[in-house]
Parts: sequence; structure tokens; C-alpha cells
Amino acid sequence: MLQKIYDWIDDRIDITPIWRDIADHEVPEHVNPAHHFSAFVYCFGGLTFFVVVIQILSGMFLTMYYVPDIQNAWKSVYYLQTEVAHGQIVRGMHHWGASVVIVMLLLHTLRVFFQGAYKKPRELNWVVGVLIFFVMLGLGFTGYLLPWDNKAYFATQVGLEMAEQVPFIGQQLKILLAGDATIVGAQTLTRFFAIHVFFLPAALFGLLAAHFILIRKQGISGPL
Amino acid sequence: MSNEKQQVSRRQFLNYTLTGVGGFMAAGLLISPIRMAVDPVLKESSAGDLANVGLSVDDITSEPQRIDWSVDQVDGWYESEVNRSAWVYRNEDDEIVAFSPVCKHLGCVVSWEGSENHPNEYFCPCHDGRYYKDGTNVPGTPPLAPLDEYEQEVRDGMLFLGDARPREEA
Amino acid sequence: MHKGKGMKFVGDSRISAERKPNIPKDYSEYPGRTEAFWPNFLLKEWLAGAVFLVGFLSLTLAHPSPLEGMADPTDAAYIPLPDWYFLFLYELLKYEFASGDFILLGMLVLPGLGFGALLLAPFLDNGPGRRPHQRPVAVGMMLLGLVSVIWLTYTSASHVDWESRAEANKPIPQAEVTIDTEHPGFASYENSCLACHGNELEGGAGPALVGMDLSAEEIADIAVNGIGSMPADQFTGTDEELEQLVDFIIAVNESAE
Repeated sequence: MLQKIYDWIDDRIDITPIWRDIADHEVPEHVNPAHHFSAFVYCFGGLTFFVVVIQILSGMFLTMYYVPDIQNAWKSVYYLQTEVAHGQIVRGMHHWGASVVIVMLLLHTLRVFFQGAYKKPRELNWVVGVLIFFVMLGLGFTGYLLPWDNKAYFATQVGLEMAEQVPFIGQQLKILLAGDATIVGAQTLTRFFAIHVFFLPAALFGLLAAHFILIRKQGISGPL
Repeated sequence: MSNEKQQVSRRQFLNYTLTGVGGFMAAGLLISPIRMAVDPVLKESSAGDLANVGLSVDDITSEPQRIDWSVDQVDGWYESEVNRSAWVYRNEDDEIVAFSPVCKHLGCVVSWEGSENHPNEYFCPCHDGRYYKDGTNVPGTPPLAPLDEYEQEVRDGMLFLGDARPREEA
Repeated sequence: MHKGKGMKFVGDSRISAERKPNIPKDYSEYPGRTEAFWPNFLLKEWLAGAVFLVGFLSLTLAHPSPLEGMADPTDAAYIPLPDWYFLFLYELLKYEFASGDFILLGMLVLPGLGFGALLLAPFLDNGPGRRPHQRPVAVGMMLLGLVSVIWLTYTSASHVDWESRAEANKPIPQAEVTIDTEHPGFASYENSCLACHGNELEGGAGPALVGMDLSAEEIADIAVNGIGSMPADQFTGTDEELEQLVDFIIAVNESAE
């Protein structure tokens, strides 16, 4: 039955080569922990991606309850944590995932760095990777404000004041981020929400796609 | 030959294990979010409390009258007062009846004798839906069911109303 | 794959009519102990992922995600702290050469140099050697940066008393507290406690009195003898008034549950 459905679809859109392309590639011995246990360092990149998947999933579900509005943001998070079954766990996944993803990214970056894996011809992939790192830090910073608790509010204020110190465009940059010259409030929250939920994830998806396509094109770097 | 057969079963084994491990990861990842998402479905409704509508039973006549009252509504993290209204009258058996004014056709608001052409009937201005005095829909007009009736109780001579419940088809 | 005239298509589409067999490539003839990604290697990766997931979920269950009180821009006593991965920047700005007149140095130049060098590492370290000892400068800079970031994060975090911080910033559900101003103990509360503990026991100069885990005797003792930075003799009424005051505080706490 399943085979028939598959064949029917394959007959029309020829999907076998598409997924065979993803499935069929060789994994060399030096990255396989089954042969050399020290190769576990190659897991960090994959685990980073895994945590990103956790973040996307838990984030999608969190927005079912969250509202980006200063009157209700905190209340909705509090409601989610105390009244909704498993709400505590889902928010926990998103909260701890944000930290774990930074740790994993750091380990992955250090692995690549100390193995010199970014050398020709892989320079561009390193640049894409560092940009992913920046996007991730941006996601961490903007996500921080969303629960609208004291920690969120004051940390964001500090961040915005830092933005204001930038020469020449500081004032404009701060207003762009905060939505208002002096107030950190309703307009700031909606902006940070939009950045956290739409802009940065969109950038992240693009960069991740580029990262993976480049890896498949160039192959993994050889053993030292 | 036998070698080839073994190869296939090994690959199948790998595929089954892969599906199993993948399923385990997906389950571990999704169990909490999905439980959280379906929580409202599993939660018991807090509705059903009757509210004093501020109308003495002595004031209820056989002529339907519109009453408005408000109830405290807890909607997740948002608490508010919502307004409700009803058409109340005393029927031939001297029972108090309170109808929801929401038309069963498409949810407009009906009113008693809302049209000069149709005396002694509830009238919905949106699509000319009509109901008899006992709430039954007039055959041939858009509504297909009688008006919902509020749960009610009389305490100390005052009328208390709860939630509107659909009646059986007339 | 055929090209040109010999090609056959499905209908009028550009889909080739010839099916590719759905059989994985055989990597056993490749040099070295190469493995197919699907399903051999992916299974190992997913096993590692499953172990990781169990650990991650345990962490999530063991440590509920923190939520502090609702943002209060007038709370002057609050000391803001960023998330741990920004702590090194936060600490850097405490140093003399990175703040005041040198704020741009600490805020833009140093982190800019660090992150810029990270971004452009392949172009700065462009020699052919990949082993760490073949590129001492790059590896040295990285180690230096790493050590200073870890050191800054550590110094910043070690100053903070995380437990009392979490304790002082517990979330208090709003509007769930009912204050009964008719209560006989309210007058005493108004006179002795309200100035520091707030109109609705939400705290102010002193901590919130809602959500305490104290018995009646302990509350009475604190009202008379003080605790921590709270001085003694804040309450100077009769014993009966004290009892009413304690009653009032407990009643408010019960209303909050």
C-alpha cells in the first residue's frame, strides 16, 4: 500500500533522486565515533541543529499562549507556567534550550577552529557559521525581553543604552530598536517580538540552509 | 545468494531501528508541547455559575422583556466583565422562560416584535428570521432551530441565569 | 541518464519516464572504512541525539524556567543582569579603561575586534597548515580570547548571590490579593508595616509579605524583633493588636492562594 502510494508520487514528480541525494553520501572513517571515539567532537554541529529544532518547536507552541503586550505578556507567561498542563516544561525547554544552543555552538566553533577546518576552500562556510552565531546571540537578546519580568525589562534597558552609545547613529539605532526615544514599553515589546519570531528566524533558516548546502558540496574536512 | 539476503535484512534492521530511535526523539520532543496545546480541550469548563440578573420575578409578565446583565469572565490570563442579554417572559404554564437573543441562523441579535409586519414574534433583522413567542422557529424562515434557552433559577425572588443551552428541535 | 533524443518523459512534463532504482549506494568498495549516511551513520547520530535529549529533558524537569515579578520600571532597587552568555560584556564595561571616557573602547572596539577577528578568521589565518602548532598566532589569540571571556564571565557571576536574588524576585500574581481594610488588623498594618511592605503586601523597601512560609508566631516575632535589615520595634502596639495584625497578614496570604 505504502509502496504503491510512493510509486504513484514518484511516477509524477520523480522524488527518488531528491531524497537519495540527501541520504546517499559517504561518512568518512575519521568522523565516525564507532571507529575513533575521539570523533565525538564532530557531533557538536549536529547537536546544535537538534537544539535549534527543539527551539523552533517549543517556540511555535509557546506562541499559542503568549501575547506581546505589556499589560498581558507577563500574565500570559505566568498563566502558562502555573495553570496550563506541561506549560512549565515547554517554557523550560525553550529557556534552557537557549542556553544549551549557545554552549553547543561554542563547542562546534572551537572544534572547527582548532582543527583548522575553515581553511581553503571552506572560508565561506566559516563566515556563514559565525553569522549564525551572531543571529543566535540576537535571538537570545530579543527573547529575553518577551516575558516582561523585571529581569527582562532592566536587561533590555541596559542593552538599549549600549546601542545609544554607538557613535553618529546611536540615537537612531536605539529608537529603531525601542520604537520610542525614551520609553521602553509597548512599542519595544512588539518590536522585539517581531525580531525574535520573524526576522531573526528567517535569517537563521537562510544561513542554516547555506551552511548545510556548503557542507554537502565541499564535503567534511579531512583528518588532521 | 545467501550473502545478499543477509545484506537486505541488515539494511531493513537498520531502517527499523532508525525509525524507532527517530520516533523516540519525536515523542520526547513533542509530548509536552502537544499536551500543552490540547490543555484547553481537557480542562473542565468553569462556566455554569448562575448570575443575578437584577430582575425580580414579580416583574416578569407574559410580555417578553429584554434584560441586560454582566458576568465576570475569566479567559485564561484575561479577566473581564462581559455583557449578556436575554428575553424573559412567563409562559402559559406560569413558568419563567429566558431566551438567548442570538439568532440560530447566523448569530445576529433577535428582538421581540422587531418588525412591524410580524407582531407577536421574535424577529431577526439580518435575514428576516422569525420565531414564535415560545422560541420555536417559524417554518420557512432561515433559522433551523428554536432559540437557545438560559439555565435559570429563582433565589429570594430574584432571577438568576446561567449559560444558554440549545433546545431540542421543535 | 540519457540525454537528447533518447529521453522519455511523463506526459508533457519534464519528469523523466525512467525510474531510478531506490537502492542505496554501496560504499563497501570505497577506500577506508567509509559508511553510508543513511541509515548506518544517521542511526548512530540519532542514538547520540536521543541520549542528549534525555539529558536535556531531565535538566528541564529538574530546573523550572525562572520567571521574576512583572516588570516595574520604578523598582530602583533592582540590579539588572544579562543572560550568562552576555555576562562577559557586562563585566568588561566595569573596568576603568572600558567605561567612562573609554566606553567606546569597551563597548565597540574590543568586542568588535574580537567578533570581527572571529568572523574573518580564515582570511587572517590563511596559511596552509591546519594543525594547531603550525599556526601559533591564531591558536594563541583564540586561547587568549577564550580565557579572558571565561575569566570575565566567572568574575561577574561569582559576585552575584544567585539564590537570594531568585528569592527576592519571585513572581507575585497580581490582583489575586484581596485586602480587607475592615479587618481589625489592617489599622496596625497601615501604621506599622505599610510604608515598607506596600499597600497590598507586595513589598517595597522590605520584601513582599505574600507567599511567605512562616507561622503566626514567627510573623509576630519578626514584627516585634525585626529580621535581617528590618529593625526591631517596628510594631509597638498591644498584644491584642499584634494578634490581629498577624491574623490580617495570614488572611491576605490565604486569599492569594
